[in-house]
Amino acid sequence: MIEISNFSFQYREGATPVVQGIDLAIPDGAFVGITGAAGSGKSTLTYALNGIIPHCYPGDFYGSVVVDGLDTCDVALTDVSRLVGSVCQDVDSQFVTSVVEDEMLYGLENFGVPRDEIEGRLEQALDDMGIADLRDRTITSLSGGQKQKVAIASILALNPRVLVLDEPTAELDPASSRSVFDLLARYAREHGATVVVVEQKIALLSQYADMLVIVDEGRIRFADAPAKVLEHSGELERIGVNCPRSTTLMNRLRAEGLYQGPSVRNVREAREALEEVLA
Amino acid sequence: MIEFKDVHVSYEASAPILKGVNFAIRDGEFVAFVGTNGAGKSTTMRLMNGLLKPDAGQVLIDGVSTAELRTSELARRVGFLFQNPDRQICCTTVREELLFGFRALGQAGAEADARVDAIIEEFGFDPDDDPFLLNRGARQLLALASIVVLAPPVVVLDEPTTGLDYRECEKVMAIIRRIHEQGATVIMVCHDMEVVADYATRCIVMSDGRVVDDAPTFEVLRNRDTLERASLVPPQIVDLSLELGRAIPRLADAPVGSANTVDEMLAAVVEEARGAQDEERSVSA
Amino acid sequence: MSAFLEYVPGTSPLHRMNPVAKLAAAALFAVACFCSSNLVFLAVLLACGFALAATCGMLRPAVGLAKAVFAFSLILTLVQILTTPTGAVLVALPWGYIGTGSLLAALTTVVRLVAAAIPLFLVFYVTKMNDITNAVVKVLHVPYKYAFTFTSTIHFIPLFMNDMKGIMEAQTARGVEFDAGGIVRKVRLMVPLCVPLLVSSVRKTNSAAIAAEVRGFNLRTASSGYKEYPFAAFDVAAMAAAVALVVCAVALGIVL
Repeated sequence: MIEISNFSFQYREGATPVVQGIDLAIPDGAFVGITGAAGSGKSTLTYALNGIIPHCYPGDFYGSVVVDGLDTCDVALTDVSRLVGSVCQDVDSQFVTSVVEDEMLYGLENFGVPRDEIEGRLEQALDDMGIADLRDRTITSLSGGQKQKVAIASILALNPRVLVLDEPTAELDPASSRSVFDLLARYAREHGATVVVVEQKIALLSQYADMLVIVDEGRIRFADAPAKVLEHSGELERIGVNCPRSTTLMNRLRAEGLYQGPSVRNVREAREALEEVLA
Repeated sequence: MIEFKDVHVSYEASAPILKGVNFAIRDGEFVAFVGTNGAGKSTTMRLMNGLLKPDAGQVLIDGVSTAELRTSELARRVGFLFQNPDRQICCTTVREELLFGFRALGQAGAEADARVDAIIEEFGFDPDDDPFLLNRGARQLLALASIVVLAPPVVVLDEPTTGLDYRECEKVMAIIRRIHEQGATVIMVCHDMEVVADYATRCIVMSDGRVVDDAPTFEVLRNRDTLERASLVPPQIVDLSLELGRAIPRLADAPVGSANTVDEMLAAVVEEARGAQDEERSVSA
Repeated sequence: MSAFLEYVPGTSPLHRMNPVAKLAAAALFAVACFCSSNLVFLAVLLACGFALAATCGMLRPAVGLAKAVFAFSLILTLVQILTTPTGAVLVALPWGYIGTGSLLAALTTVVRLVAAAIPLFLVFYVTKMNDITNAVVKVLHVPYKYAFTFTSTIHFIPLFMNDMKGIMEAQTARGVEFDAGGIVRKVRLMVPLCVPLLVSSVRKTNSAAIAAEVRGFNLRTASSGYKEYPFAAFDVAAMAAAVALVVCAVALGIVL
C-alpha cells in the first residue's frame, strides 16, 4: 500500500535532516504503530505519508514516497488526501465548524461526494466511531475523548484507503484511549483499511498494532511484529522507548533461563506464559 | 496542610462538578489524584490555589480558607504546574522566565539570582535560549523549573507527564521526587498508572465529582472494586499479580500475589519456580 | 453556558430561518435604528429586540450583551452630554451647559446602539457559522475563500479567548496580580502575555489551515454545500417587516 524508499527530509529552517534513509513498506490492511523519543522524526514520517510533506512544509526531499502507486511528490496534496485521511494532533484546530454534523459534512462536500451517498456515509462513519448520538451536539460541549472520535469520524466518512493519526490519545485517559484504539481496530478489520498511528503509549501500540516501527534519530531502528521488536527491551530503553512492564518482566525471566517463549505484548500474554512457568 | 471540607462546585448552568469532596493532605505527602476525564480532578486542583472558590464547603490551606485569599497571594504557598507549558511561559529567555516568578512576587534580588543560577545549573539549561524555540519536553521542564525555583511548600501538578516521551517523563519525575524529598508536599493528577505506582505514596480516586477511594497507592491499585468504579487500568505488574492470584489460587498468598514492581515480581517468580524445581528434585530423589 | 458569539442549538423559528434572511433582517433592523432619532420608536425597537431574544431562549445573553454595549456607549454619551447644550439648563459649564436636551440626546444614543446591536448578535447565537458561510456562498455568491476567512475568524474568537483566560490563570498562579487592582493595572499586566497568545494562535491557525487543506478545502466550489437554503414565506415576511421598520423610521423622521 505504501512504499517509502530511501527517504530523507530536511526542513528549510533546519540544519540537519530530520529523517534520513527511511525504507519502509506498509502492506495493504496493516495496523502500524510508530513510536520513538521526542524529536526522533516520527511526526515528520507521518507528514510524508499524508503528503503534508512536501506540499505544506518546504525543505529538501530525497527518495520517494509512493501511496497506492501514486508518488506523493508528483501529485497535488488533494490527490493524496483522497487516499490518505489524516487526523491531526491538535483536534481543536482541526475543527472548522461548530456542530458535529457540519464537521462530518465538510470533507464530504469538498470532495464532491454525490448527494445521495452523503447521508449513508455520514451515518456509517458515526456508527464506526460509536458516536451516532452526538450528531447534533455542538463541538464545544464534547469531552476530549468524544472530540477525538468526531475528528476521526469526519475523516472516516471520506472512505480513505489509509488512515494516519498523530498521537490520537495524547490528551485522553486510559479508558478513552483504549476505546479509541478498539474502534480503530474494528474499523480497519471491517473495512480492510490501512491504519498508521503515531503514539507515545507503547503498551497500546504493542497490543493493537501488527507492525511496530521504532524511529531513532531520524532512522528506522526496528520495523517488525511487536513481539519481535519487544525482544530488544534493553536497546529500546537506551533509545528512549519504554517497553510495557509485562514485556520487561518476561524478557528478564528469559535472561534468567525461566522462560523460552516469544516476548509478550500485554498482561494477558504475560499471565498465560507465567501460568505455564508456575504450573 | 490542605483540607477539603464538604466541597461543592458547579459551573454555570451545568451539572455539579464536585458533590461533597472531603480529604486532608498533611505536609510532606506525595498524593496522586486519579480517575477518568471529567471526574473532577482538575477542578479539585484549581481549588487548591484559589483559581476556583467552592460554592459550598471550605478549602483550607494551613488553616486559612482560600475564599479569603487571592490566587496571587496563594502563589507563595502553592506552586501550580499547568498541563500546557505554553500558557505559562511568557518571557523571551530561559533566565528571564525563571526570574519572572520572583518579580511577580516582589522577591527579585541577589538571592533570587543565585537560586536561578543554581536551577539553570541543575537542569542543564542554556540561560539565553528562547523558550519558544525549545521542544515540548524542554518547555515542560522549564515550566516546572520556574515553579521549583520559587521553592513553594506545596506543589500541585496537573498531568505533568502528558505529551512527554519516556526519557523526558523520567527527568520531570526525578525533579518532582527530589523536591518531595526536600520536604515539599506534592499533589498531582496523573493518568499514567505506572507513574502513579512509581512515585506517589497515597492515591485519591475520584469518580463523578466524589472521592471514591483514598488509601496508600498500592492498596488502591489492588482494589478491584475501586478500579472498576473509576474505570481505571491498574499498572501492568499489579494487574498481572492479581490475575495470577485469581488463575492459580495458591499464588494469591505467595509473594507473586503481592508483587507490585518488576523487581518484586521477578524475584517472586524466580523463587516460586526454583522452589518447584527443588521440590521435584527432592521427590524424584 | 456557551461562550461569546457561539452557536446555541435550538429549534425556535429564529433558529430555523434562512441564514441570509436572518442576516439581512438584522442589518435592516440596525439601519432602522440609525435612521430614527425618535426615542419612543427606538424604545419600541429595543423592546422588539428583547422579544426576539425571548422567542429563542436567548434573553440572558441578550441582557448581558445589552449591558456590555451600554457600558461601551457611556463613553460616547458622556461626550454628547458635555457638547450638546440644548433644552432647559441643568448644569452650567465654562463652554456651555448641560441641558435636558443633552440628556435626552444621550439617552437616545444609548437606546439606539443597544437596540441595533441585539439582533445582529442574536444572529450568531441562533445560526451555525457553517450555515452562514454556506448560505452566503450559495445565495449571495460570495467567493468561498472570503466567507471561510470571515467565519473562521469568528470561530477562533472563543478559542483565543479561552487561551487568554488559561494564560492569565497560569500567570495568576505564579503570583501575577491579575486578581487585584483596577482595569488599567490589569491591561498593563496583560501586555507581556500577548507573546504566548500570539505563539499559540500562529500554531493553531497554521495547523487549522493544513487540516482544512487535507480535507479538500481547495476543491470546494459554490455548489459544494450539501444543505440548501431556500427562502420560506416566513423569511420573506421577516425581511418585509424589517424593510417596513426602515420605512417607518425614515417616515417618522420626516413627519416629526
